[in-house]
Amino acid sequence: MPDISLVEVNKSFGGSAIKAVSDLSLTIGDGEFMCLLGPSGCGKTTTLRMIAGLENLTSGAISVGDMTVDSIEEGLFVPPEKRGMGLVFQSYALWPHLTVERNTDFGLRLRGIPKQEREERVLHVMQKMGIEQYRDRYPSQLSGGQQQRVALARMLAINPEVLLLDEPLSNLDARLRLEMRAELKRIHSEFGTTVIFVTHDQWEAMTLATSIAVMHEGALQQVGSPDDIYARPANRFVAEFVGSPPINIVEFGSHIQSQLSDLVRDLLAKSGQPRDQAGSIGLRPEKIQLCLSPGQVPDGQFGGSAILVSVLPTGGSWILELDIGGTTLFTTANQPPEFNVGSEIWFYSDWSELHVFDADGNHFPSDNHVAAPAIGNGSDTQKPQRALS
Amino acid sequence: MADRQGASIAGTGSSWLRWRYKLTINWQNPTSLIGVLMTLLFLYLIAVPIISLLHDSVEVQFGDARRTGAEIGAWTSYYFDRVLLSPISRKIFWEPLVNTLSVASGAISISLTIGGLMAWLVSRSDMFGRRWFATALIVPYMLPSWTFALAWRTLFKNREIGGQPGWFESMGFSPPDWLAYGQLPITIILALHYTPFVILLFGNALKRFDSQLEDSARILGAGPGVVARQIILPLMLPSLVSAAVLIFAKCLGEFGVSYVLGLPVNYDVLAISLYRSIASRQAGAAAVLAGAIMLIGILSLLIDARLMREARKFVTVGGKGSMNRASRLGVLRLPATAFAAIIFITGVGLPIIVLLLSTIMRIPGDFSLSNFTLDYWIGRNLEFVGLRSGILLTPELWHAVWNTIFIVGIASIFSGVMGLLVGYVVARSPIRAVAMFLRQVTFFPYLVPGIAFAAAYLSLFSVPRGPIPALYGTSIILILALAADHMPFASRAGISAMMQLGKNPEDAAQIAGAGWLRRMTSVVIPIQKGAFVAGILLPFISGIRGLSLFVILAVPATDVMTTYSLRLLDYDYTQAANAVVVIISAIAYFGTLAAQKLTRTNLAEGLGG
Repeated sequence: MPDISLVEVNKSFGGSAIKAVSDLSLTIGDGEFMCLLGPSGCGKTTTLRMIAGLENLTSGAISVGDMTVDSIEEGLFVPPEKRGMGLVFQSYALWPHLTVERNTDFGLRLRGIPKQEREERVLHVMQKMGIEQYRDRYPSQLSGGQQQRVALARMLAINPEVLLLDEPLSNLDARLRLEMRAELKRIHSEFGTTVIFVTHDQWEAMTLATSIAVMHEGALQQVGSPDDIYARPANRFVAEFVGSPPINIVEFGSHIQSQLSDLVRDLLAKSGQPRDQAGSIGLRPEKIQLCLSPGQVPDGQFGGSAILVSVLPTGGSWILELDIGGTTLFTTANQPPEFNVGSEIWFYSDWSELHVFDADGNHFPSDNHVAAPAIGNGSDTQKPQRALS
Repeated sequence: MADRQGASIAGTGSSWLRWRYKLTINWQNPTSLIGVLMTLLFLYLIAVPIISLLHDSVEVQFGDARRTGAEIGAWTSYYFDRVLLSPISRKIFWEPLVNTLSVASGAISISLTIGGLMAWLVSRSDMFGRRWFATALIVPYMLPSWTFALAWRTLFKNREIGGQPGWFESMGFSPPDWLAYGQLPITIILALHYTPFVILLFGNALKRFDSQLEDSARILGAGPGVVARQIILPLMLPSLVSAAVLIFAKCLGEFGVSYVLGLPVNYDVLAISLYRSIASRQAGAAAVLAGAIMLIGILSLLIDARLMREARKFVTVGGKGSMNRASRLGVLRLPATAFAAIIFITGVGLPIIVLLLSTIMRIPGDFSLSNFTLDYWIGRNLEFVGLRSGILLTPELWHAVWNTIFIVGIASIFSGVMGLLVGYVVARSPIRAVAMFLRQVTFFPYLVPGIAFAAAYLSLFSVPRGPIPALYGTSIILILALAADHMPFASRAGISAMMQLGKNPEDAAQIAGAGWLRRMTSVVIPIQKGAFVAGILLPFISGIRGLSLFVILAVPATDVMTTYSLRLLDYDYTQAANAVVVIISAIAYFGTLAAQKLTRTNLAEGLGG
């Protein structure tokens, strides 16, 4: 399958000025497992439906390889039934009046595949999905997980080169969802299909995708591998959307007084960045370490005193809420914390873990990380203590 | 944006490409085209007749040139003047209006009282056999309303009109006029007929009412009286008012009952007055009357729509934890059951038995065995001049049966198909205006009482217009009028079915490679089979017992069963007329049951029709 590329795609509904998708350019390579990730209403499903041909573009173009499938400028539109893609709907959209088998062979019949071959292929795909024993049942007689398998089988039967999935796991319970995730990964490697997967669940995107496209308010925020997205967010939105518990964000500006922001301000001043442009800093919870006394803070790290406000066990790990001079920070621990709630403790983290965002939310400086500053190593470990005392 | 501008600057080539793009899309999905065609069709079938009718009311009609002192076709206020202001207006409009209002308000208060009580007993109490009553008490609504009128007339008829005597008369008691005809019997019969309506509407609201709302009030210290006054009544009020308004709108177009029981004492309601105007060929006055009926109908239903919107604010009270708990009647359990049984007997049992017996008795009210005969059903060489053999052996009956099935059947199929298509277009059309317009125009006949709608059809189709010949006297006018009259129900059923279906199954088929026609035939229509059958069957059954449309638009050649029975009644062939009504009732009743079984739909949903 050639690459699928979207070029400056715009979509607004019913002539309204609000763009469901704006200036989206994205290329999905052959064999990729691409996740469109974003909160509800970010335009990810619309994007998927445009790729499928179920929605028309307002402007821009979509092409598959060197063939344009949708472009007003070129006057070309290939209808969905001619694109040869597979799409699994969030609601599965199984045809209630057809049995599992008839649902599965619908596409093959349309293609005029001879009976024998059709039966073989249907049986094969039903076996693969583990639904051959339900072949004569109607969708209403199946459980959610079974319906989901039928929906997949129905699309896989026509051997699509691109498989589009619109939040197919959101209606399943937690255990089934885990199983189906593994299943999807297996299908992807086994069939070699290009998969485009829409989800609002960052966990799902992280575990499944080879690359993730994060969308927000119709606009593409960042494309990259799951690791990239997590470790090197392009902006504050991406940083906040990905990760659980979410990244700690501390605003700073002239009106917000916080020991942490003072700390970063100093830091920025020393690194020569224009401080007035900075808007906020982020620090992932798991990157924060705790200790009992300032002496235990390792060299080259920054930190300060904090009050432990509460401990939330999540079974196997713990979320700790800290109060640092009026700012709340969350951190996670893999061991039961040895501190008492209400006691004063010390937190620290590596400089390189700090994400600094400018006033518009873009990551700053542009090389994604605060360069481990001279202050950390150079002067002394008292630097942070001074800053926070 | 820059690209777009660039493209438009590039000129004709680019705009041709844009045009081609639109064409490709619309060719692949003809929803827009169908939408436009349907819009035109319903403009013609619903909007144009009504406009034509309204136009008739201000235009000098054929034969009125001398009276109005103007040319035919000239503008005139003569008809408004005549109907609303002239000395004769009392007889034509004001008295019928007062009669209509008093009959309607009487019927509303009786049916609200009895129906409200019954609804509560059936849905919220531990009355004996409440399940059975829940269905049994609805039966009067399935039967034509003038069935009861005929039964009443069979019982109470006095010497005021000729022909065979009533049962009481022949048993030696002569019922006074006020008991035999006019306001009292009409009010009682309409009340009986519309009580089920209250039971359905109010009962549904009661069933949805969450017992936890009551419980919360109780826990906060409210006694039963306070709970009833401050919690239940305010929440139930919209459904009660709504039932009242709907009954009023239906009474407005009520023809059959008043025809049977009002005519002997000249107790006219608006529908009868309209019928008289049409029968005496006063098209202009008829148009004003029909317009007035329409206006009152529209106003009352707008009030209802307003109230329902208010009521919808409360809808959220239901929810998951909703509980419906039966109240214990205690000592009153038996009396309550007896009361429900009495309502059932007077509302259903008695009229049907009277009608049935009347068709097998030579002399009404004589219960000696020798007086019973099956001659009126299957006998030959009867004494009636115009009806020599029993009703089942009369060719006119079978002609009427065939006409009924043919006319009502075609109209129902037509409206069923159109309803589904309207639903499809409304749910899918990319042009919002088309969807909005179709939704509203197909609902419009609901606001217009059937008899006024028939008058509108008469106004448009009684003369040739353009390429369309005069349709009056043909079955086509009946089919079209009936189909249009069914559209509110058909389109609402279609729209809700399509909305419920959603777009996904069709999208999935498209992804799998199916073109539009294929999607319709192998996905949309098979899935909607149930809704489709219901959309044809329910209108069919209500069409069979319908009278007001036919009485205006049918001629002897296009007699249907209802108009045929009225004709028999006019000739005073009581037994035969009653027999035909019994047949209609049986078809309506068993048909409704069968349709409900077959389509698993509820009569309550079909109420709008």
